[in-house]
Amino acid sequence: MASTSLRPRWGSSPKRTLWCIVQSQAPFVVESFAMLFLTAATKGWPNKKMRENDSGRRLSPVLTFGVGLVLCTAGAQGAETPIPHGTLELVAENRWVTPGHEFSLGLHFQLEKGWHIYWVNPGDSGEPPRVTWQLPPGLSPGVIEWPAPRRLGTSSIMDFGYEDAVTLIVPVHAESSLAAQPLARLGAEIRVLICREMCIPGKTELSLTLPVKSLPPAPDPRTRDLFAAARKELPRPAPQNWKFSVDDTGDSFVLAANVTPQITQATFFPLAEAQIDNSAPQALQPLASGFRLTLRKSDQLLKPIERLKGVLVLSGNRTYLIDLPVSKRGAQKNNSDNGIREIQSSKEELGT
Amino acid sequence: MRRSTLYPMLLTVLIYAAPLLVAAAKVGQAAPDFTATASNGKTFRLSDYRGKYVVLEWHNNGCPYVGKHYRSGNMQHLQKQWTGQNVVWFTIISSAPGKQGYVTASEENEYLTKMQAAPTAALLDPTGEIGHLYDAKTSPQMVVINPQGMVIYDGAIDDKPTTDLSDIAGATNYVNLALEQAMAGKQVQTPATRPYGCSVKYPDSTH
Repeated sequence: MASTSLRPRWGSSPKRTLWCIVQSQAPFVVESFAMLFLTAATKGWPNKKMRENDSGRRLSPVLTFGVGLVLCTAGAQGAETPIPHGTLELVAENRWVTPGHEFSLGLHFQLEKGWHIYWVNPGDSGEPPRVTWQLPPGLSPGVIEWPAPRRLGTSSIMDFGYEDAVTLIVPVHAESSLAAQPLARLGAEIRVLICREMCIPGKTELSLTLPVKSLPPAPDPRTRDLFAAARKELPRPAPQNWKFSVDDTGDSFVLAANVTPQITQATFFPLAEAQIDNSAPQALQPLASGFRLTLRKSDQLLKPIERLKGVLVLSGNRTYLIDLPVSKRGAQKNNSDNGIREIQSSKEELGT
Repeated sequence: MRRSTLYPMLLTVLIYAAPLLVAAAKVGQAAPDFTATASNGKTFRLSDYRGKYVVLEWHNNGCPYVGKHYRSGNMQHLQKQWTGQNVVWFTIISSAPGKQGYVTASEENEYLTKMQAAPTAALLDPTGEIGHLYDAKTSPQMVVINPQGMVIYDGAIDDKPTTDLSDIAGATNYVNLALEQAMAGKQVQTPATRPYGCSVKYPDSTH
Protein backbone atom coordinates (compact mmCIF):
# COMPACT_ATOMS: atom_id res chain seq x y z
CA MET A 1 0.00 0.00 0.00
CA ALA A 2 1.28 3.43 -0.80
CA SER A 3 1.24 5.00 2.61
CA THR A 4 -0.31 8.35 2.10
CA SER A 5 0.37 10.99 4.66
CA LEU A 6 -3.15 11.68 5.75
CA ARG A 7 -3.57 15.12 7.19
CA PRO A 8 -5.15 17.42 8.43
CA ARG A 9 -4.74 16.77 12.12
CA TRP A 10 -8.05 17.35 13.77
CA GLY A 11 -7.20 17.53 17.40
CA SER A 12 -4.50 20.14 17.17
CA SER A 13 -6.23 22.87 15.18
CA PRO A 14 -6.97 25.92 17.41
CA LYS A 15 -9.30 27.40 14.78
CA ARG A 16 -11.36 24.23 14.70
CA THR A 17 -11.53 24.03 18.50
CA LEU A 18 -12.73 27.64 18.69
CA TRP A 19 -15.45 27.05 16.08
CA CYS A 20 -16.50 23.91 17.90
CA ILE A 21 -16.81 25.82 21.18
CA VAL A 22 -18.85 28.58 19.50
CA GLN A 23 -21.16 25.91 18.08
CA SER A 24 -21.45 24.16 21.41
CA GLN A 25 -22.44 27.39 23.16
CA ALA A 26 -25.23 28.13 20.72
CA PRO A 27 -27.96 26.18 22.55
CA PHE A 28 -27.06 27.85 25.84
CA VAL A 29 -27.06 31.34 24.29
CA VAL A 30 -30.47 30.64 22.74
CA GLU A 31 -31.70 29.27 26.06
CA SER A 32 -30.47 32.35 27.96
CA PHE A 33 -32.30 34.69 25.58
CA ALA A 34 -35.44 32.58 25.78
CA MET A 35 -35.32 32.67 29.61
CA LEU A 36 -34.80 36.42 29.55
CA PHE A 37 -37.80 37.03 27.32
CA LEU A 38 -39.93 34.60 29.32
CA THR A 39 -39.01 36.32 32.57
CA ALA A 40 -39.61 39.74 31.03
CA ALA A 41 -43.01 38.67 29.74
CA THR A 42 -44.20 37.23 33.06
CA LYS A 43 -42.44 39.31 35.73
CA GLY A 44 -41.20 42.34 33.88
CA TRP A 45 -37.60 43.12 32.92
CA PRO A 46 -35.32 41.66 35.60
CA ASN A 47 -33.97 44.36 37.88
CA LYS A 48 -30.48 44.43 39.37
CA LYS A 49 -31.54 42.63 42.57
CA MET A 50 -33.17 39.77 40.74
CA ARG A 51 -30.03 39.32 38.65
CA GLU A 52 -27.80 39.31 41.74
CA ASN A 53 -30.01 36.72 43.46
CA ASP A 54 -29.67 34.52 40.43
CA SER A 55 -26.01 33.78 41.17
CA GLY A 56 -26.30 30.15 40.07
CA ARG A 57 -27.26 31.21 36.59
CA ARG A 58 -24.27 33.53 36.38
CA LEU A 59 -21.86 30.63 36.66
CA SER A 60 -23.52 28.74 33.87
CA PRO A 61 -21.86 30.49 30.88
CA VAL A 62 -18.45 29.81 32.42
CA LEU A 63 -19.43 26.24 33.13
CA THR A 64 -20.87 25.58 29.67
CA PHE A 65 -17.86 27.19 28.03
CA GLY A 66 -15.61 24.91 30.08
CA VAL A 67 -17.63 21.84 29.14
CA GLY A 68 -17.50 22.96 25.50
CA LEU A 69 -13.74 23.39 25.68
CA VAL A 70 -13.23 19.91 27.10
CA LEU A 71 -15.58 18.32 24.56
CA CYS A 72 -14.10 20.23 21.65
CA THR A 73 -10.48 19.52 22.43
CA ALA A 74 -10.86 15.94 23.60
CA GLY A 75 -14.00 14.47 22.09
CA ALA A 76 -16.08 15.54 19.12
CA GLN A 77 -14.49 14.68 15.76
CA GLY A 78 -11.59 12.66 17.09
CA ALA A 79 -8.41 13.73 18.76
CA GLU A 80 -5.00 12.22 18.28
CA THR A 81 -4.26 9.90 21.15
CA PRO A 82 -0.71 8.78 21.73
CA ILE A 83 0.13 5.11 21.21
CA PRO A 84 3.68 3.76 21.43
CA HIS A 85 5.66 5.41 18.59
CA GLY A 86 2.63 6.97 16.98
CA THR A 87 -0.83 8.39 17.34
CA LEU A 88 -4.32 7.07 16.82
CA GLU A 89 -7.54 8.95 16.28
CA LEU A 90 -11.16 7.97 15.88
CA VAL A 91 -12.95 9.87 13.13
CA ALA A 92 -16.46 9.82 11.69
CA GLU A 93 -17.32 10.17 8.03
CA ASN A 94 -20.68 11.86 8.62
CA ARG A 95 -21.68 14.90 10.62
CA TRP A 96 -24.42 13.04 12.44
CA VAL A 97 -25.86 9.57 12.86
CA THR A 98 -29.04 8.97 10.85
CA PRO A 99 -31.33 6.26 12.28
CA GLY A 100 -31.84 3.41 9.81
CA HIS A 101 -28.60 4.13 7.95
CA GLU A 102 -25.06 2.79 7.96
CA PHE A 103 -22.17 5.18 8.51
CA SER A 104 -18.43 4.77 8.78
CA LEU A 105 -15.96 5.33 11.55
CA GLY A 106 -12.23 5.38 10.91
CA LEU A 107 -9.26 4.44 13.05
CA HIS A 108 -6.45 6.60 11.75
CA PHE A 109 -2.97 5.43 12.77
CA GLN A 110 0.11 7.58 12.25
CA LEU A 111 3.39 5.86 13.05
CA GLU A 112 6.93 7.04 13.53
CA LYS A 113 9.35 6.18 10.75
CA GLY A 114 10.26 2.50 10.67
CA TRP A 115 7.48 1.34 13.00
CA HIS A 116 4.61 -0.79 11.80
CA ILE A 117 1.31 -2.35 12.81
CA TYR A 118 -0.29 -5.50 11.39
CA TRP A 119 -2.85 -6.66 8.84
CA VAL A 120 -5.73 -9.01 9.76
CA ASN A 121 -3.31 -11.88 9.03
CA PRO A 122 -0.11 -10.59 10.60
CA GLY A 123 2.12 -13.14 8.87
CA ASP A 124 4.90 -14.86 10.79
CA SER A 125 4.82 -12.71 13.93
CA GLY A 126 2.81 -9.94 15.56
CA GLU A 127 -0.96 -9.51 15.80
CA PRO A 128 -3.60 -7.26 14.23
CA PRO A 129 -5.16 -4.32 16.09
CA ARG A 130 -8.21 -5.39 18.08
CA VAL A 131 -11.16 -3.12 18.78
CA THR A 132 -13.77 -3.40 21.51
CA TRP A 133 -16.56 -0.96 20.74
CA GLN A 134 -18.52 0.91 23.36
CA LEU A 135 -21.51 2.15 21.40
CA PRO A 136 -24.93 3.32 22.56
CA PRO A 137 -27.78 0.80 22.17
CA GLY A 138 -29.05 0.81 18.60
CA LEU A 139 -25.61 1.12 17.03
CA SER A 140 -23.91 -2.08 15.86
CA PRO A 141 -20.35 -2.10 14.55
CA GLY A 142 -19.40 -4.11 11.47
CA VAL A 143 -16.01 -5.64 10.78
CA ILE A 144 -12.86 -3.72 9.90
CA GLU A 145 -12.27 -3.05 6.21
CA TRP A 146 -8.56 -3.78 5.83
CA PRO A 147 -6.50 -2.02 3.18
CA ALA A 148 -3.99 -4.19 1.31
CA PRO A 149 -0.88 -4.66 3.47
CA ARG A 150 2.82 -4.65 2.62
CA ARG A 151 5.39 -7.39 3.07
CA LEU A 152 7.60 -6.46 6.01
CA GLY A 153 10.44 -8.81 6.79
CA THR A 154 13.48 -10.77 5.81
CA SER A 155 14.29 -13.97 3.95
CA SER A 156 13.28 -16.07 6.95
CA ILE A 157 10.50 -14.14 8.72
CA MET A 158 7.80 -12.24 6.85
CA ASP A 159 5.08 -10.10 8.38
CA PHE A 160 2.14 -8.32 6.72
CA GLY A 161 1.30 -4.84 7.88
CA TYR A 162 1.34 -1.09 7.52
CA GLU A 163 4.00 1.55 7.98
CA ASP A 164 3.72 5.37 8.21
CA ALA A 165 -0.06 5.84 8.22
CA VAL A 166 -3.18 3.79 7.69
CA THR A 167 -6.92 4.25 8.20
CA LEU A 168 -9.04 1.25 9.15
CA ILE A 169 -12.67 1.85 8.21
CA VAL A 170 -15.43 0.27 10.28
CA PRO A 171 -19.05 0.48 9.09
CA VAL A 172 -21.61 1.02 11.85
CA HIS A 173 -25.32 0.35 11.46
CA ALA A 174 -27.80 2.61 13.21
CA GLU A 175 -31.18 1.04 13.93
CA SER A 176 -34.19 2.94 12.68
CA SER A 177 -35.60 2.98 16.24
CA LEU A 178 -32.60 5.03 17.45
CA ALA A 179 -33.87 8.21 19.13
CA ALA A 180 -32.55 11.63 18.16
CA GLN A 181 -30.10 13.00 20.72
CA PRO A 182 -27.69 15.94 20.82
CA LEU A 183 -24.57 14.01 21.83
CA ALA A 184 -24.11 10.27 21.39
CA ARG A 185 -20.78 9.02 22.68
CA LEU A 186 -19.05 6.47 20.44
CA GLY A 187 -16.18 4.82 22.24
CA ALA A 188 -13.60 2.18 21.42
CA GLU A 189 -10.91 0.35 23.31
CA ILE A 190 -8.05 -0.50 20.99
CA ARG A 191 -5.24 -2.95 21.60
CA VAL A 192 -2.47 -2.64 19.05
CA LEU A 193 1.02 -4.06 18.69
CA ILE A 194 3.59 -1.64 17.28
CA CYS A 195 6.90 -3.07 16.09
CA ARG A 196 10.27 -2.05 14.73
CA GLU A 197 12.91 -4.68 15.52
CA MET A 198 11.10 -4.93 18.84
CA CYS A 199 7.41 -4.91 19.62
CA ILE A 200 5.47 -2.78 22.06
CA PRO A 201 1.85 -3.50 22.93
CA GLY A 202 -0.37 -0.44 23.20
CA LYS A 203 -3.84 -0.10 24.67
CA THR A 204 -5.90 3.03 24.46
CA GLU A 205 -9.46 4.27 24.74
CA LEU A 206 -10.87 6.65 22.20
CA SER A 207 -14.21 8.33 21.78
CA LEU A 208 -16.03 10.92 19.79
CA THR A 209 -19.43 12.48 20.10
CA LEU A 210 -21.94 12.73 17.29
CA PRO A 211 -25.52 13.95 17.34
CA VAL A 212 -28.27 11.56 16.24
CA LYS A 213 -30.61 13.38 13.86
CA SER A 214 -33.57 12.35 11.74
CA LEU A 215 -32.00 14.02 8.75
CA PRO A 216 -30.40 12.46 5.66
CA PRO A 217 -26.73 11.51 6.21
CA ALA A 218 -24.33 14.36 5.52
CA PRO A 219 -20.59 13.81 4.98
CA ASP A 220 -18.31 15.78 7.26
CA PRO A 221 -16.13 17.96 5.02
CA ARG A 222 -13.33 17.74 7.59
CA THR A 223 -12.91 13.98 7.14
CA ARG A 224 -13.90 13.65 3.50
CA ASP A 225 -10.33 13.50 2.14
CA LEU A 226 -9.23 11.05 4.82
CA PHE A 227 -12.03 8.58 4.04
CA ALA A 228 -11.62 9.02 0.28
CA ALA A 229 -7.90 8.23 0.55
CA ALA A 230 -8.60 5.24 2.82
CA ARG A 231 -11.21 3.80 0.43
CA LYS A 232 -8.72 3.98 -2.45
CA GLU A 233 -6.50 1.55 -0.54
CA LEU A 234 -9.22 -1.07 -0.07
CA PRO A 235 -9.00 -4.20 -2.24
CA ARG A 236 -11.91 -4.60 -4.62
CA PRO A 237 -13.38 -7.47 -6.64
CA ALA A 238 -11.37 -8.21 -9.77
CA PRO A 239 -12.87 -7.24 -13.16
CA GLN A 240 -15.50 -9.74 -14.33
CA ASN A 241 -13.56 -10.77 -17.43
CA TRP A 242 -10.42 -11.74 -15.49
CA LYS A 243 -10.32 -15.50 -15.03
CA PHE A 244 -8.53 -17.05 -12.07
CA SER A 245 -7.76 -20.55 -10.88
CA VAL A 246 -5.83 -22.11 -8.00
CA ASP A 247 -4.15 -25.50 -8.21
CA ASP A 248 -2.74 -27.53 -5.36
CA THR A 249 0.50 -28.98 -6.70
CA GLY A 250 1.52 -30.77 -3.50
CA ASP A 251 4.06 -28.39 -2.01
CA SER A 252 2.58 -25.22 -3.51
CA PHE A 253 -0.55 -23.43 -4.63
CA VAL A 254 -0.38 -22.03 -8.14
CA LEU A 255 -2.58 -18.99 -8.64
CA ALA A 256 -3.15 -18.52 -12.37
CA ALA A 257 -4.92 -15.61 -14.01
CA ASN A 258 -6.04 -14.63 -17.48
CA VAL A 259 -5.35 -10.95 -17.34
CA THR A 260 -4.47 -8.30 -19.88
CA PRO A 261 -2.28 -6.33 -20.19
CA GLN A 262 0.70 -8.34 -19.01
CA ILE A 263 1.50 -8.31 -15.32
CA THR A 264 5.08 -7.74 -14.19
CA GLN A 265 4.56 -7.70 -10.44
CA ALA A 266 2.20 -9.73 -8.28
CA THR A 267 2.06 -10.39 -4.56
CA PHE A 268 -0.51 -12.51 -2.78
CA PHE A 269 -1.49 -11.98 0.86
CA PRO A 270 -3.35 -14.97 2.34
CA LEU A 271 -6.30 -14.12 4.55
CA ALA A 272 -5.80 -17.18 6.77
CA GLU A 273 -2.71 -17.75 8.84
CA ALA A 274 -0.48 -20.78 8.29
CA GLN A 275 -1.59 -21.51 4.71
CA ILE A 276 1.39 -20.34 2.68
CA ASP A 277 5.04 -20.01 3.61
CA ASN A 278 5.01 -16.28 4.21
CA SER A 279 8.72 -15.66 3.71
CA ALA A 280 9.12 -17.83 0.60
CA PRO A 281 9.58 -15.85 -2.63
CA GLN A 282 6.40 -15.79 -4.71
CA ALA A 283 7.59 -16.83 -8.17
CA LEU A 284 5.79 -14.88 -10.89
CA GLN A 285 5.65 -16.45 -14.33
CA PRO A 286 4.28 -13.96 -16.86
CA LEU A 287 2.32 -15.60 -19.68
CA ALA A 288 1.01 -14.17 -22.91
CA SER A 289 -2.50 -14.44 -21.55
CA GLY A 290 -1.80 -13.57 -17.94
CA PHE A 291 0.43 -14.99 -15.23
CA ARG A 292 1.08 -17.81 -12.77
CA LEU A 293 2.08 -17.08 -9.21
CA THR A 294 3.57 -19.95 -7.19
CA LEU A 295 2.93 -19.84 -3.45
CA ARG A 296 4.82 -22.36 -1.34
CA LYS A 297 2.67 -24.04 1.29
CA SER A 298 3.25 -23.45 4.97
CA ASP A 299 4.80 -26.27 7.00
CA GLN A 300 1.93 -25.76 9.43
CA LEU A 301 -0.66 -26.59 6.77
CA LEU A 302 -1.30 -30.26 7.36
CA LYS A 303 -4.73 -30.54 5.75
CA PRO A 304 -5.95 -29.63 2.25
CA ILE A 305 -7.83 -26.37 1.96
CA GLU A 306 -11.07 -25.91 0.03
CA ARG A 307 -10.59 -22.29 -0.94
CA LEU A 308 -7.75 -19.80 -1.14
CA LYS A 309 -8.73 -16.38 0.08
CA GLY A 310 -6.75 -13.21 0.28
CA VAL A 311 -5.62 -10.06 -1.45
CA LEU A 312 -3.71 -9.91 -4.73
CA VAL A 313 -1.58 -6.82 -5.32
CA LEU A 314 -0.56 -6.22 -8.95
CA SER A 315 1.77 -3.69 -10.52
CA GLY A 316 0.46 -0.18 -10.25
CA ASN A 317 -0.74 -0.83 -6.70
CA ARG A 318 -3.98 -2.41 -7.92
CA THR A 319 -5.41 -4.61 -5.19
CA TYR A 320 -8.05 -7.30 -5.62
CA LEU A 321 -10.00 -9.63 -3.39
CA ILE A 322 -9.37 -13.30 -4.10
CA ASP A 323 -11.66 -16.15 -3.05
CA LEU A 324 -11.17 -19.21 -5.22
CA PRO A 325 -11.78 -22.94 -4.94
CA VAL A 326 -8.58 -25.00 -4.87
CA SER A 327 -8.36 -27.81 -7.40
CA LYS A 328 -6.02 -30.77 -7.05
CA ARG A 329 -3.01 -31.41 -9.24
CA GLY A 330 -4.76 -33.96 -11.52
CA ALA A 331 -7.57 -31.60 -12.33
CA GLN A 332 -5.14 -29.08 -13.74
CA LYS A 333 -3.96 -31.42 -16.53
CA ASN A 334 -7.40 -32.50 -17.68
CA ASN A 335 -8.86 -29.09 -17.50
CA SER A 336 -5.86 -27.01 -18.54
CA ASP A 337 -6.96 -23.41 -18.73
CA ASN A 338 -10.62 -24.20 -18.17
CA GLY A 339 -9.96 -24.33 -14.45
CA ILE A 340 -11.58 -20.95 -14.39
CA ARG A 341 -13.98 -19.86 -11.79
CA GLU A 342 -15.96 -16.86 -10.87
CA ILE A 343 -14.27 -14.64 -8.38
CA GLN A 344 -16.35 -13.70 -5.43
CA SER A 345 -15.94 -10.79 -3.16
CA SER A 346 -14.67 -11.89 0.20
CA LYS A 347 -15.12 -8.48 1.70
CA GLU A 348 -17.09 -9.76 4.67
CA GLU A 349 -14.58 -12.45 5.44
CA LEU A 350 -11.69 -10.01 5.18
CA GLY A 351 -13.01 -8.43 8.29
CA THR A 352 -12.84 -11.53 10.43
CA MET B 1 25.87 -39.27 -22.54
CA ARG B 2 27.51 -36.14 -23.82
CA ARG B 3 29.13 -33.81 -21.36
CA SER B 4 27.13 -30.83 -22.65
CA THR B 5 23.88 -32.42 -21.49
CA LEU B 6 25.31 -34.00 -18.35
CA TYR B 7 26.15 -30.73 -16.63
CA PRO B 8 22.74 -29.09 -17.07
CA MET B 9 21.19 -32.31 -15.76
CA LEU B 10 23.43 -32.38 -12.74
CA LEU B 11 22.70 -28.74 -12.13
CA THR B 12 18.97 -29.40 -12.32
CA VAL B 13 19.28 -32.24 -9.81
CA LEU B 14 21.28 -30.00 -7.50
CA ILE B 15 18.79 -27.15 -7.72
CA TYR B 16 15.91 -29.48 -6.86
CA ALA B 17 17.86 -31.26 -4.16
CA ALA B 18 19.16 -28.10 -2.51
CA PRO B 19 16.02 -27.36 -0.46
CA LEU B 20 16.06 -30.92 0.84
CA LEU B 21 19.59 -30.54 2.13
CA VAL B 22 18.71 -27.53 4.28
CA ALA B 23 15.15 -28.58 5.11
CA ALA B 24 14.01 -27.34 8.48
CA ALA B 25 12.26 -29.39 11.12
CA LYS B 26 8.76 -30.51 10.25
CA VAL B 27 6.04 -32.18 12.23
CA GLY B 28 6.12 -35.94 11.72
CA GLN B 29 9.76 -35.92 10.70
CA ALA B 30 12.99 -36.46 12.60
CA ALA B 31 14.06 -33.54 14.76
CA PRO B 32 17.33 -32.16 13.35
CA ASP B 33 20.20 -32.79 15.75
CA PHE B 34 22.22 -29.97 17.23
CA THR B 35 24.91 -29.30 19.80
CA ALA B 36 24.81 -26.14 21.85
CA THR B 37 26.45 -24.44 24.80
CA ALA B 38 24.15 -23.61 27.68
CA SER B 39 24.31 -20.56 29.94
CA ASN B 40 25.64 -22.85 32.70
CA GLY B 41 28.67 -23.62 30.51
CA LYS B 42 27.71 -27.21 29.75
CA THR B 43 27.36 -28.62 26.26
CA PHE B 44 24.12 -30.31 25.24
CA ARG B 45 23.45 -32.53 22.24
CA LEU B 46 19.83 -33.21 21.33
CA SER B 47 20.44 -36.81 20.22
CA ASP B 48 21.79 -37.64 23.70
CA TYR B 49 18.18 -37.40 24.90
CA ARG B 50 16.68 -40.13 22.72
CA GLY B 51 14.24 -42.03 24.86
CA LYS B 52 12.90 -38.87 26.47
CA TYR B 53 10.41 -36.25 25.47
CA VAL B 54 12.13 -32.93 24.69
CA VAL B 55 10.52 -29.49 24.65
CA LEU B 56 12.20 -26.60 22.81
CA GLU B 57 11.13 -23.10 23.87
CA TRP B 58 12.30 -20.08 21.82
CA HIS B 59 13.01 -17.24 24.20
CA ASN B 60 13.60 -13.47 24.11
CA ASN B 61 13.44 -11.71 27.47
CA GLY B 62 12.42 -8.37 25.89
CA CYS B 63 9.47 -9.74 23.95
CA PRO B 64 6.08 -8.86 25.46
CA TYR B 65 4.61 -12.22 24.40
CA VAL B 66 7.38 -14.01 26.29
CA GLY B 67 6.90 -11.57 29.15
CA LYS B 68 3.26 -12.58 29.39
CA HIS B 69 4.24 -16.18 30.11
CA TYR B 70 7.10 -15.36 32.49
CA ARG B 71 5.55 -12.50 34.49
CA SER B 72 2.50 -14.68 35.07
CA GLY B 73 4.72 -17.61 36.07
CA ASN B 74 3.05 -19.75 33.40
CA MET B 75 6.26 -20.76 31.62
CA GLN B 76 8.11 -21.56 34.86
CA HIS B 77 5.13 -23.65 35.96
CA LEU B 78 5.20 -25.62 32.70
CA GLN B 79 8.98 -26.12 33.01
CA LYS B 80 8.65 -27.47 36.56
CA GLN B 81 5.62 -29.58 35.74
CA TRP B 82 7.21 -31.34 32.76
CA THR B 83 10.84 -31.63 33.88
CA GLY B 84 9.28 -33.20 37.00
CA GLN B 85 7.93 -35.89 34.69
CA ASN B 86 11.31 -36.65 33.14
CA VAL B 87 10.81 -34.34 30.15
CA VAL B 88 13.89 -32.43 28.92
CA TRP B 89 13.21 -28.72 28.48
CA PHE B 90 15.58 -26.53 26.48
CA THR B 91 15.04 -22.78 26.46
CA ILE B 92 16.75 -21.53 23.28
CA ILE B 93 17.90 -17.93 22.77
CA SER B 94 18.47 -17.21 19.07
CA SER B 95 18.78 -13.41 19.33
CA ALA B 96 21.90 -12.12 17.59
CA PRO B 97 24.36 -9.87 19.48
CA GLY B 98 23.01 -6.31 19.54
CA LYS B 99 19.44 -7.49 18.97
CA GLN B 100 16.59 -7.63 21.45
CA GLY B 101 16.82 -10.63 23.77
CA TYR B 102 20.53 -11.28 23.23
CA VAL B 103 22.17 -12.24 26.51
CA THR B 104 25.56 -13.37 27.70
CA ALA B 105 25.76 -16.59 29.70
CA SER B 106 25.93 -14.74 33.03
CA GLU B 107 23.03 -12.43 32.12
CA GLU B 108 20.92 -15.47 31.29
CA ASN B 109 21.87 -17.18 34.55
CA GLU B 110 20.81 -14.05 36.46
CA TYR B 111 17.52 -14.02 34.54
CA LEU B 112 16.84 -17.70 35.26
CA THR B 113 17.43 -17.11 38.98
CA LYS B 114 15.37 -13.93 39.09
CA MET B 115 12.45 -15.47 37.23
CA GLN B 116 12.76 -18.79 39.10
CA ALA B 117 12.79 -20.47 35.71
CA ALA B 118 13.45 -24.19 35.65
CA PRO B 119 14.38 -25.44 32.18
CA THR B 120 16.83 -28.34 31.89
CA ALA B 121 19.14 -25.75 30.31
CA ALA B 122 19.09 -22.41 28.50
CA LEU B 123 20.92 -22.86 25.20
CA LEU B 124 22.72 -19.90 23.65
CA ASP B 125 22.27 -19.68 19.87
CA PRO B 126 23.59 -16.20 18.94
CA THR B 127 24.27 -17.24 15.31
CA GLY B 128 20.66 -18.38 14.92
CA GLU B 129 21.87 -21.77 13.67
CA ILE B 130 19.47 -23.82 15.80
CA GLY B 131 16.71 -21.32 15.17
CA HIS B 132 17.06 -21.71 11.40
CA LEU B 133 17.40 -25.49 11.74
CA TYR B 134 13.91 -25.51 13.27
CA ASP B 135 12.69 -22.57 11.16
CA ALA B 136 11.78 -20.81 14.41
CA LYS B 137 9.76 -17.70 13.56
CA THR B 138 8.77 -16.33 16.93
CA SER B 139 9.34 -16.28 20.62
CA PRO B 140 7.76 -18.11 22.33
CA GLN B 141 7.63 -20.78 19.60
CA MET B 142 7.39 -24.29 21.05
CA VAL B 143 8.52 -27.64 19.65
CA VAL B 144 7.84 -31.04 21.20
CA ILE B 145 10.00 -34.05 20.27
CA ASN B 146 9.03 -37.60 21.20
CA PRO B 147 11.38 -40.30 22.60
CA GLN B 148 11.93 -41.60 19.05
CA GLY B 149 13.32 -38.22 18.06
CA MET B 150 10.34 -37.16 15.93
CA VAL B 151 8.79 -33.70 16.00
CA ILE B 152 5.25 -34.18 17.32
CA TYR B 153 4.33 -30.54 17.87
CA ASP B 154 5.54 -27.26 16.38
CA GLY B 155 3.87 -23.91 16.90
CA ALA B 156 2.33 -21.61 19.46
CA ILE B 157 2.37 -22.16 23.20
CA ASP B 158 -1.41 -21.73 23.36
CA ASP B 159 -4.42 -20.52 21.41
CA LYS B 160 -4.45 -16.91 22.68
CA PRO B 161 -2.01 -14.91 20.53
CA THR B 162 -1.95 -11.82 22.74
CA THR B 163 0.27 -10.07 25.26
CA ASP B 164 -2.45 -9.95 27.92
CA LEU B 165 -1.68 -11.90 31.08
CA SER B 166 -5.40 -12.32 31.66
CA ASP B 167 -5.65 -14.48 28.52
CA ILE B 168 -3.56 -17.31 30.02
CA ALA B 169 -6.28 -18.61 32.32
CA GLY B 170 -8.74 -19.49 29.55
CA ALA B 171 -6.16 -20.59 26.97
CA THR B 172 -5.71 -24.09 25.57
CA ASN B 173 -2.04 -24.96 26.03
CA TYR B 174 -0.84 -26.86 22.96
CA VAL B 175 2.39 -28.10 24.63
CA ASN B 176 0.43 -29.69 27.45
CA LEU B 177 -1.99 -31.25 24.98
CA ALA B 178 0.79 -32.68 22.80
CA LEU B 179 2.68 -34.16 25.76
CA GLU B 180 -0.45 -35.51 27.46
CA GLN B 181 -1.81 -37.09 24.28
CA ALA B 182 1.54 -38.56 23.21
CA MET B 183 2.27 -39.94 26.68
CA ALA B 184 -1.18 -41.56 26.70
CA GLY B 185 -0.24 -43.29 23.44
CA LYS B 186 -2.65 -41.15 21.42
CA GLN B 187 -2.21 -39.20 18.22
CA VAL B 188 -1.44 -35.53 18.86
CA GLN B 189 -4.66 -33.81 17.80
CA THR B 190 -3.13 -30.42 17.04
CA PRO B 191 0.43 -31.10 15.82
CA ALA B 192 1.06 -27.71 14.17
CA THR B 193 -0.16 -24.17 14.75
CA ARG B 194 0.96 -20.69 13.82
CA PRO B 195 3.59 -19.80 16.41
CA TYR B 196 2.57 -16.39 17.71
CA GLY B 197 4.84 -13.79 19.26
CA CYS B 198 7.78 -11.57 18.39
CA SER B 199 9.91 -12.42 15.38
CA VAL B 200 13.12 -14.24 16.28
CA LYS B 201 15.90 -11.64 16.21
CA TYR B 202 18.26 -13.28 13.74
CA PRO B 203 21.35 -11.36 12.58
CA ASP B 204 19.44 -10.05 9.51
CA SER B 205 16.26 -9.10 11.36
CA THR B 206 15.04 -5.59 10.66
CA HIS B 207 11.58 -5.64 12.16
